[in-house]
Amino acid sequence: MDGNLEIFLKAVIIFCACISIICFVRAVIGPTIPDRLVAINMIGTQMIIIISVLTILLKEAWLADVAAVYALLSFLGVVVLTKIYIGIYRKKHAELFGEEEETDGISIQESQVNDK
Amino acid sequence: MSTFRVVLAIILLAIGMLFILLSVIGVFRMKFVMNRMHAAALGDTCGLLFMILGLITISGFTFTSLKLLGVLVLFWLTSPVSGHLLSNMVKSTMNSDLTVHADQKELENKAK
Repeated sequence: MDGNLEIFLKAVIIFCACISIICFVRAVIGPTIPDRLVAINMIGTQMIIIISVLTILLKEAWLADVAAVYALLSFLGVVVLTKIYIGIYRKKHAELFGEEEETDGISIQESQVNDK
Repeated sequence: MSTFRVVLAIILLAIGMLFILLSVIGVFRMKFVMNRMHAAALGDTCGLLFMILGLITISGFTFTSLKLLGVLVLFWLTSPVSGHLLSNMVKSTMNSDLTVHADQKELENKAK
């Protein structure tokens, strides 16, 4: 591999690492929980890019499999966290406003329309 | 490796880095979760696409580049679903009107 290209690939890895640190700052200061999840999702993207660059830089073909597994795991994390958070929100909502308040997406839309 | 391939790979990787930088700037400048999600999706799609295209240009027609293409397809299948779940979570956990931008809402609160 060309020497200049190797230096550039290392620069790409350092760039993605810096971007993931900046995303971590967003995850810490994010005012709501969806903000934090979006930032964590972006960190996952940066990690996939870093692993893909390492695949070419180290000439190890199996690192691409690691990148695929990382993509699936970060997707699974988002799915589980959103389901858990919606469940917690519904529980709190039912405790505060009683059981008759349905917090499904469609019914919330209808209640917003009725509020207007 | 010929000079043309090296230059093409560096250009594609630089475009990918530019997209990622734009998405991070968008995540920090936008005021509301949905806008931030829009900015983050830019890095998820175009950033990863151009990065993997640059790496495939370096690798050539090998099995490694096919695997990298598989990673890209897998991520493009899962990223819209996670974005949909996140926006569904935002919609079902917020009681306020989502069509109003955060700045507009602050202005209205100040006006009251």
